[in-house]
Amino acid sequence: MSLRQAARIASRELRGGLRDGLRGFRIFLACLALGVGAIAAVGSVRGAIEVGLADQGAVLLGGDAELEFTYRRASPDERQWMDGTATTVSEIYDLRAMIGTGSGDNAQNGLTQLKAVDAAYPLVGEVLLDPAIPLATALGPQNGLPGAVMDAVLIDRMGLRLGDSFRLARQEFRLSATLLREPDSAGAGFSLGPRTIVATSALEGSMLLQPGTLYETKYRLTLAAGTDLAVAETAAKARFDQAGVRWRDRRAGAPGVTRFVERMGAFLVLVGLAGLTVGGVGVSAAVRAYLERKTAVIATLKTLGADGRTIFLTYALQIGALSLLGVALGLAFGLIAPLMLAPLIESRLPIALDVAPHPAALAQAAVYGLLTAALFTLWPLMRTAGLRAATLYRAVHGSWKSGRPPFAAVLALAVVLTALLAAMAGFTGMPKLALSSAGGVAVALGALMLTALGLKRLARRLSTARLLRGRPALRLAVGSVAGPGQDAGAVILSLGLGLAVLAAVGQIDSNLRQSINRDLPDVAPAYFVVDIQQSQITDYLERLAANPAVSRVDSAPMLRGIITRINDRPATEVAGDHWVVRGDRGLTYADVMPKDTTLTAGQWWPTGYDGPPQISFAREEAEEISLTLGDRLTVNILGRDITATITSFREVDFSTAGIGFVMVMSPNALAGAPHSFISTIYTPPAAEAALLRDLAQTFPNITAIRVRDVIARVTEALGTLSAATRIAAAATLLTGFMVLIGAAAAGETARIYEAAILKTLGATRGQILQSLALRAAILGAAAGGVAVLTGAAEGWSVMFWVMQAPFRFDGLSAGLIIGGGVLATLLSGMAFAWRPLSTRPAGVLRHR
Amino acid sequence: MPNPILSLRDVSLSLMAQAGPVDILRAISLDVAQGETIGLVGPSGSGKSSLLMLMAGLEHASGGQITAMGQDLTTMNEDALARFRRGNMGVVFQSFHLIPTMTALENVATPLELANVPDAFARAAAELQAVGLGERLRHYPSQLSGGEQQRVALARAAAPRPALFLADEPTGNLDSATGQTIMDLLFDLRDRHGATLVLVTHAPELAARCDRVLRMADGQIISDQRQTTPAPCHTEVSA
Repeated sequence: MSLRQAARIASRELRGGLRDGLRGFRIFLACLALGVGAIAAVGSVRGAIEVGLADQGAVLLGGDAELEFTYRRASPDERQWMDGTATTVSEIYDLRAMIGTGSGDNAQNGLTQLKAVDAAYPLVGEVLLDPAIPLATALGPQNGLPGAVMDAVLIDRMGLRLGDSFRLARQEFRLSATLLREPDSAGAGFSLGPRTIVATSALEGSMLLQPGTLYETKYRLTLAAGTDLAVAETAAKARFDQAGVRWRDRRAGAPGVTRFVERMGAFLVLVGLAGLTVGGVGVSAAVRAYLERKTAVIATLKTLGADGRTIFLTYALQIGALSLLGVALGLAFGLIAPLMLAPLIESRLPIALDVAPHPAALAQAAVYGLLTAALFTLWPLMRTAGLRAATLYRAVHGSWKSGRPPFAAVLALAVVLTALLAAMAGFTGMPKLALSSAGGVAVALGALMLTALGLKRLARRLSTARLLRGRPALRLAVGSVAGPGQDAGAVILSLGLGLAVLAAVGQIDSNLRQSINRDLPDVAPAYFVVDIQQSQITDYLERLAANPAVSRVDSAPMLRGIITRINDRPATEVAGDHWVVRGDRGLTYADVMPKDTTLTAGQWWPTGYDGPPQISFAREEAEEISLTLGDRLTVNILGRDITATITSFREVDFSTAGIGFVMVMSPNALAGAPHSFISTIYTPPAAEAALLRDLAQTFPNITAIRVRDVIARVTEALGTLSAATRIAAAATLLTGFMVLIGAAAAGETARIYEAAILKTLGATRGQILQSLALRAAILGAAAGGVAVLTGAAEGWSVMFWVMQAPFRFDGLSAGLIIGGGVLATLLSGMAFAWRPLSTRPAGVLRHR
Repeated sequence: MPNPILSLRDVSLSLMAQAGPVDILRAISLDVAQGETIGLVGPSGSGKSSLLMLMAGLEHASGGQITAMGQDLTTMNEDALARFRRGNMGVVFQSFHLIPTMTALENVATPLELANVPDAFARAAAELQAVGLGERLRHYPSQLSGGEQQRVALARAAAPRPALFLADEPTGNLDSATGQTIMDLLFDLRDRHGATLVLVTHAPELAARCDRVLRMADGQIISDQRQTTPAPCHTEVSA
């Protein structure tokens, strides 16, 4: 028979199905549509953000290009080069500072991320203020004081009103407006304090920009129209590469945001694929049920002369058509969802969203959907071809016997699976993450299948155990889990995967929160103080020593530098993208080995050492970038290259939030380099406020960062991440719930029949309901239980391998997951309990 | 008849069909004595199975009164009927109606458990032994032949020692040899437990083994014939 003949038969069968309202295929379509829709929506939103980021690169960056210097200004030569290259140059200082109000016991201090700008700022975009006045006016002098604008959060925290004055180190400012929007905020990265903007000229009397103060200077450039950015970048790197200067341009205006969107998008697509896999379980179940209903038709067709290929094609065409319909519905959802979500997402982004259709995102979602549909339907479809007519007739009222898989089916499945994995690796652009996620899903599915199998065996043993005798409802429930043709596998698979993701997120989240909120405050200092000038350090330490509330003070000289070369090769070539060579790092010097230091290899330099510069490097980070004793590191500090030899490795514990440096140099290496000191202060929470008032009044230029505030910010950021992951996992769970509904609907006839027999044998409706509820609860608890175990294993591995912190099992999160599993199965099971309970036995039994 | 175990007075049954209500049974009145065996015969559609369903309380009568063991079934709700069947009635169907998710042993133990019989499983095993299925206790219905499934159904019906056996064409889906064995078992169980038996059948030779034969047509009993010497059993049952 030809394809045309198969198509004709298929269309007749589909016509019948359509007349029936696609009964039995609603879950099939819903599973596919939801999975494809979620992926299409994520892809479309990601596309919209990426287009927005690319279009508005110059606004996000604040110019066509930017050169960033670490705690120094450009030298006259360097500035001259910039003026020659760009049509306009704007100079911006970015630093952490303390603002203060009031005096004496009423003094109040708050941390801010301060930006000092020149008259050219902003080169691109607009600063929005309330009241809507120009920035230059807002920053200009008013009643003899320079103006400043401030984020509403900080204004509120400090209890300020427009027109009030406040201090920045030794300089008074007048608050002239609330800062509503800063065009280049997306490129600024993570900051601990809300923003304040002042004019650079007004900072001169503040003592904030002293030698050694930790600040960054950014030079924003407007380039002539038609300037080739790649050529400009090469020229800038040639000019500045040895000076520790970083170049960025409008092609990646907010690389942090771009990287985050790229990673989050890929991650959410992978979670969406997990949802699609769960949907695949429902798709497969629907196709198997459909083909079983069609057994007589298939047998008749075979009797009439249809060969296996024709049968396969007939049903493959039908399922293919329905898959296309499901994918189309999903794509429609993927088109509509971003439109609805745009205002919500836009409010959290620094850019406007382009919510036009993104064909690439939709095409990717369609490919995922079709490949997943093929993966989960090929097997049952190929089994139709291999069955003999006589077998089919005999199997009309029973399930199909599973035979040996035909080679062609195995081959076809392997091809589809490979194509799906290749699509995942290619589309996400993160093959390692994609393949490991696929592996994770496969392991989880395997664990869930084994659980289902184990549960059935256990239930089979239990159903005749003495323990359950005399408890008919419970025994009926356990017996029905154990019996043949039951949907225990489908229920545990469909629910378990979504719950496992939620359980993992719950365990990791609670462990991180525990580590940060409970454990860290016990060992962490109360304040991290920066920008203590060399002339202040002695007074500072003496003042704290005299304060009885202070239990411990640590301090160290602080410089920042960029590792530019390792053994005379570019550092990034040797260490790749390791965080130690990414951007500038803090470093210190010490003559004598600091107490509590543990050397793991090599030796500390002798006291008073005056030879070639030496360096002691953190052991773990050294191992990660394969450094050995004797290696030479070139570190650019304040535009000057210092090359030092590694003579020892040390243990550095960053987990206590105390002072910890990756690099400690011999003092002679940094002799004469302007620098400040950092310090940590340990004091009880009750004494924190008074201590801060005292320090701010005595040393107005220093910046004290309250560690509890940092912990709160990190916790908040973690909360956002885990919320996003939870939403994605909830989509998987929703698909799983639909599969559950499908399984419950498919099992309704069987439940009605069982209920009729049980009523005949003397069971009341209450007992039957109890048994149905217990059965649902057992399956839900099993799915939840295995999800908790999988989640705990994942949580443990993240804490042990990634965070290197102890793992504590979170019973509350586990209980919620198991409870959720029980509730989901109860809801789906009880939704289909009415008919078994209400149908009269005679009608059911007479017609079977 | 003094103290009939089952009594029907003017019982009617109408079921709703697409074309409107259809009268299935009309003004049936009948008394069944304790220990009696009754054969219900008649052509297909005459209402035999419907009458049996009413007697079992599996169907609600549209009119009239049904009293079993002194209890008025027509006033009971679904749950009360289910509780009444426990230990009082054993029903056997043409299509066996075993619970597919339960083993043979569990199927037989279920009515005993529902009746709170303490040694339900031991008794269920003994009943299965008695019908020759001692080696098939752990088998699911799908793993048993038709004859074996009906033997499980018989054991299940007999296990609670009911006073009333109701059997709806129990050999209808079986070949004649197997059917014969099943009927021998059914009458043997009835004899051993001294129960009353109402048997719906198409087979005249089975009806001939009953004390009394009721012939039905068009939803009515058209003849009620008492037999002086019921036909004897033909075979011995062996495990």
